[in-house]
Amino acid sequence: AGQDVGRSCILVSIAGKNVMLDCGMHMGYNDDRRFPDFSYITQNGRLTDFLDCVIISHFHLDHCGALPYFSEMVGYDGPIYMTHPTKAICPILLEDYRKITVDKKGETNFFTSQMIKDCMKKVVAVHLHQTVQVDEELEIKAYYAGHVLGAAMFQIKVGCESVVYTGDYNMTPDRHLGAAWIDKCRPDLLISESTYATTIRDSKRCRERDFLKKVHETVERGGKVLIPVFALGRAQELCILLETFWERMNLKAPIYFSTGLTEKANHYYKLFITWTNQKIRKTFVQRNMFEFKHIKAFDRAFADNPGPMVVFATPGMLHAGQSLQIFRKWAGNEKNMVIMPGYCVQGTVGHKILSGQRKLEMEGRQILEVKMQVEYMSFSAHADAKGIMQLIRQAEPRNVLLVHGEAKKMEFLKQKIEQEFHVNCYMPANGETTTIFTNPSIPVDISLGLLKRETAIGLLPDAKKPKLMHGTLIMKDNSFRLVSPEQALKELGLAEHQLRFTCRVHIQDPRKEHETVLRVYNHLKGVLKDYSVQHLPDGSITVESILIQATAHSEDQGTKVLLVSWTYQDEELGSYLTSLLKKGLPQSTA
Amino acid sequence: MTRECALLLPGVCAALADPRQPGSDDTCLEKLLDWFRSMTEFDPSVSLVQDNPCLTEFITSILALPEPSPSILSFTLRLAGILASSENRFQHLQQEKLLVRLFGADGPLSSTVWEDASVRSGWVEGVHSMMHHQPALHFLCNGGGIDVIFALQGDPSLFVASSASRLLVHMLIFSVESETTKPFSAKDFDWPVCAQMIIKRVEDSLQSSSASHIGQSLKLLTSLFSSCHSRWTEVLWLGIAKQIESFLMDETIQAQRMLANLLLNMAWSPVFCDSEGGLWALVTSALEHLTPLQVGPLAVGILRLYKCPQDVRIQALTVLLQPMDCILRAASQPLEYAGLLDESVSDPATVESLLSCKSSCASLLCQTLAHLEELLSLVYLRVDLPYTSLLRSLMTILQFCNGFLSPASPLGSKISRILINCVRVQRSALDVLAALSERKGCDTLIGSLFDVLLAYLESPNTTATVLKKTFQATSKWLVRLHELSCSTSQWQQTEKILADVFLVLQKRLCSPCWEVRDSSLEFLTVLIKCLRDQDEFRQSLLSSEVPRLTENLLEDPESYVRASAVTAVGHLAFITFFAPELPVIGNQYNKENTVAKLQEILSKDPEGFPRRAVISMFTKWLRQGCTGRMEDTERFVSRVIQTVEHDLDWEVRLGGLELVEVFCSQTICQLGLPRCSSVPVLSAVASSIHQNRSLQIFCRAKLFSFLFRSLCDCDKPVGQRACDILFALRGNFYPTGTPRDSQETGELPAGHGIAWLQRTLRQGSLAQNFPTGGGNGVDFEDPESMMLALGTIDLEELHDELNRSSDHVEKSPQSLLQDILATVGTIEENEADCY
Repeated sequence: AGQDVGRSCILVSIAGKNVMLDCGMHMGYNDDRRFPDFSYITQNGRLTDFLDCVIISHFHLDHCGALPYFSEMVGYDGPIYMTHPTKAICPILLEDYRKITVDKKGETNFFTSQMIKDCMKKVVAVHLHQTVQVDEELEIKAYYAGHVLGAAMFQIKVGCESVVYTGDYNMTPDRHLGAAWIDKCRPDLLISESTYATTIRDSKRCRERDFLKKVHETVERGGKVLIPVFALGRAQELCILLETFWERMNLKAPIYFSTGLTEKANHYYKLFITWTNQKIRKTFVQRNMFEFKHIKAFDRAFADNPGPMVVFATPGMLHAGQSLQIFRKWAGNEKNMVIMPGYCVQGTVGHKILSGQRKLEMEGRQILEVKMQVEYMSFSAHADAKGIMQLIRQAEPRNVLLVHGEAKKMEFLKQKIEQEFHVNCYMPANGETTTIFTNPSIPVDISLGLLKRETAIGLLPDAKKPKLMHGTLIMKDNSFRLVSPEQALKELGLAEHQLRFTCRVHIQDPRKEHETVLRVYNHLKGVLKDYSVQHLPDGSITVESILIQATAHSEDQGTKVLLVSWTYQDEELGSYLTSLLKKGLPQSTA
Repeated sequence: MTRECALLLPGVCAALADPRQPGSDDTCLEKLLDWFRSMTEFDPSVSLVQDNPCLTEFITSILALPEPSPSILSFTLRLAGILASSENRFQHLQQEKLLVRLFGADGPLSSTVWEDASVRSGWVEGVHSMMHHQPALHFLCNGGGIDVIFALQGDPSLFVASSASRLLVHMLIFSVESETTKPFSAKDFDWPVCAQMIIKRVEDSLQSSSASHIGQSLKLLTSLFSSCHSRWTEVLWLGIAKQIESFLMDETIQAQRMLANLLLNMAWSPVFCDSEGGLWALVTSALEHLTPLQVGPLAVGILRLYKCPQDVRIQALTVLLQPMDCILRAASQPLEYAGLLDESVSDPATVESLLSCKSSCASLLCQTLAHLEELLSLVYLRVDLPYTSLLRSLMTILQFCNGFLSPASPLGSKISRILINCVRVQRSALDVLAALSERKGCDTLIGSLFDVLLAYLESPNTTATVLKKTFQATSKWLVRLHELSCSTSQWQQTEKILADVFLVLQKRLCSPCWEVRDSSLEFLTVLIKCLRDQDEFRQSLLSSEVPRLTENLLEDPESYVRASAVTAVGHLAFITFFAPELPVIGNQYNKENTVAKLQEILSKDPEGFPRRAVISMFTKWLRQGCTGRMEDTERFVSRVIQTVEHDLDWEVRLGGLELVEVFCSQTICQLGLPRCSSVPVLSAVASSIHQNRSLQIFCRAKLFSFLFRSLCDCDKPVGQRACDILFALRGNFYPTGTPRDSQETGELPAGHGIAWLQRTLRQGSLAQNFPTGGGNGVDFEDPESMMLALGTIDLEELHDELNRSSDHVEKSPQSLLQDILATVGTIEENEADCY
């Protein structure tokens, strides 16, 4: 989904862990291009070894459609995470899509029912706000995202580094779902969808009113309304809308749902009532919103019945099966109406009628004249520009990365984000890698003794100011501790070693060795007035801890070799002395 | 190109070039390119560009735009490349100077749009498409294009980088193979200019200190050696071999995995594997010096080779087995087991340190296990695997993972602590264990193996995915156990193990987790399929609670589980009421009761899976002749098809047709071929009908109504299958040809509504709709009418129509062009609104 609203599949490498976020498909293609090209993930080695886990944000096919292909045909055998409702609903949609694909094109190289089941059996379902430990270092946590039942944003955390992936989300509550929410988790990176990056969406209420008005008018004049939908998601939302309206207006025209999936879909909405919004939860006590009085199961014979009716039929793009069959029957009558509540890919009948084509060539060179009214209504629930900014404010990320949107719109939003929040914002294209640098803060335990000693040296501690501490860092068993050098030696059972640096300086002096030493001693005493310079009985000189000895050169007696040696603590003085001696001895001291 | 398309194309080009129009859907542009690719692939002539000047006009107008959108510019680059794929069209575009402006130094390369990955990608793909003739090669080499492509190998976009690498390989091969004039000579090979340019750059980057440049060149060479097996590749190799050899020892460049991959691809090439070029010495050195994690894929690849020195093979196997050897040694008491290997290839301390480190232990084991599984899947393995020790090491790993083994040795205790509860390793080990069951030679350990498996099956800590794999391994080893007991007549051990397995299965069938219940049922089905003829197995199964619990799961809340329960119950029937000699304990199983339950699922279950499972089980029963006498079977089939013909799930309806197909062929087989008149005269046909028992049975069972209605099913596979069955029936009932074949006029007989049926079918199969009102005078249960229908309806026409993919209209280029044109003017596009 880099710079487009297509298949979502994002690979995040964080602190040595590799996580795949979503595994979507592109419905616009019928060949290999419909699935992400997984061969780019790793050229050497198996995917199962490379990836630590896969996370699916919600059940829409552009986020989960390639999952059975990935796990059962490409061969990923590791853990997959999603929320409980997503795990329940995902196989219904995958199955629905598989049936349409196999039915329509007679494709055989496609995942089977058994593969969908085997894939779902590998899924680990998670609860909201539950911290799931994928392994000892990697943990994930789901947050409510609105959008559709079970949609979640995921926080991925390894040590002190973290990424939040929003999936698709909605910041305003709708008829059956609440608004997305996340705590102030300050991730290093927020990966946000940006479908409506520049749009301030009008109220959904207006669109709903419009929809009801159109359906009502058609039914009143005796027409039939066809609403092509996918089995789950928007269908339920529209069902609630019509059910309440029919009840209020006391309408009698029948409403049918064609797939036979309503029961199961509604079962899930009942089962996961805690995921719906507060209003639905409250009314649930008196009346279950998903038990429809007016919406009945459809039988194929009903399409020929006279009189008005409303039919929800799958698939949603009018490209095969039930919905296309009904469309063919009703298209010729101008009293009827088809309402497309979602996006249609090129090539489908849905796409054609939405772009205004009214004479459609069907099979066998038949021309179908579309006289019925065609309406498009978008009910999709994504955050608009305002919502995205609101989420950033809420989570306070250090970097933002935009996906699932159009390049031009993203560019605009990117600037806005950078200006307002002073964070870097990225918008990689498909196949591009973005590298984010983090400053990991590593917690270190400090021994009480060292702490006391260090505080005693300095001024009174100021809690607000950072303080520099000196000590020995012990890294053991994945933990870090700062202790005094003495304690470190004791703990590790080591003896202290003194490190001495030694340097040879050659001096031209034909005198005897002890005379040269004396000359050096006098010279240093004169220059280093503030230091303790001593001439020891064994003939050597010390300046603080620095030791100087002189020997004659084995081959040239006129050259004396001064051996200068110093400890690490006196590194500065040692270097100074050496450079001083290298300049030679002054003549006057002779 | 059809005339319709040629008429639409100028409009489409104008629309695409118009910057005021909203950008076309990317999929439209991709499909448009697919179409051009298909038109140019086998046609080098210039007519496409000459007859459609709008194409060059389109390119010109895009080049004239001050700020073309990246997506349309990328499309233009790719389109131009496709058009320039033949020399004629290349020259045509050159005359207009279009290619220089698109692909030359002053084109998009030097503008700000180059920052967009899609433009760079379009450029590389465009060049690749045109690189099929020498003028294109020279055009690029002389224009400095090679430098651009080399730079693009390091592109931030993975797609661009890998396309660039592929393009270089293609150009190198093309240059050498199209421009070399002299016959091949290894000593004095004359590289063409373009190839020289590429090779020089590869050599330079190999000698550079940049790890990324070295990596890119290694990738390029890998891809070259895997795709080109000409002898000149060896000449190229000889020039760089020394340099590459030095990388083996150099850890700073981090190219070990790529090196291993390069060597493997060379080993697969006949040029290198046969030659004295020192490949095997290098492979040996790699096996010795690289770590087991880096070299694993090379080792397993070597073992798959047909041609390879045996000592290298043994060395590769030793490398692969080293971690397993280390596990075995770490777990055993001194002098207990000898380990797996007598000697090792690389330093054993490396493997030990990898296994005793938390971050690498699981990775190394998983990789090793995956490689072993791959080896076990090979039919011919040219080295001997020590199966018994391998099995022992697998059992050790599994025991480390569930905490059943904590050895005293420091290494062993460290590994066991790391592996405890490690699901990844458990899964991989169980996969290898399952694969190992098919190899003979490790039977002595079978008793202790089942202890390990049963511990996994019983443990509440076993996760659902691990349990599934344990079931798979257990079922395979149970089959092996049975084979063993047959040969040794030691039934006691088998009975004890089976009793234990069913005991734990009982528990698992009641798991609160649907995945576990489902895997348990699948396991049961597999067992019945493999072992249903064995008395001990049947006795153990039927005396356990498993059958009763399985039947209970027909009412499971989860549809997947119900479906698996249907399959398991269906298979159980083979050893209970369908068994030729019903075991005494099998008497409690009531056939009618079970069939009724399945029938109810078929008609009432709200979901497709269980219904599909029922219909497929019924077909299996019918195939195996379990449905009783012919009259019973007829009633059974009739009842089933009346249930499924209105099913909303087309796969259930399809399943119904399969059942019909089996029934028809069985009936015809049993009753013998119909004695049908060979005289294609209608009256003669009619007279023979009444003697035709099969036909009467089919009519009574209401098969024809189901079949003819299915021809118009809204889901195509149903129509296709129905048509196939009707074809087969017609072949049976009219073995020497139909009346239709001999009636030249093609007039349909009056009466019986056949003309109406023919019309309805012709329209209905297209509209995918059969009138719901009824047959309009057609009596689907009247043998005479049906015989006429079979003989006179044009099934061939229907068959052709049904077998065309149902989206052939939507997929056509004309439809695509219309769709692009239809969006023109809709400035206010429908908001991106995927779902």
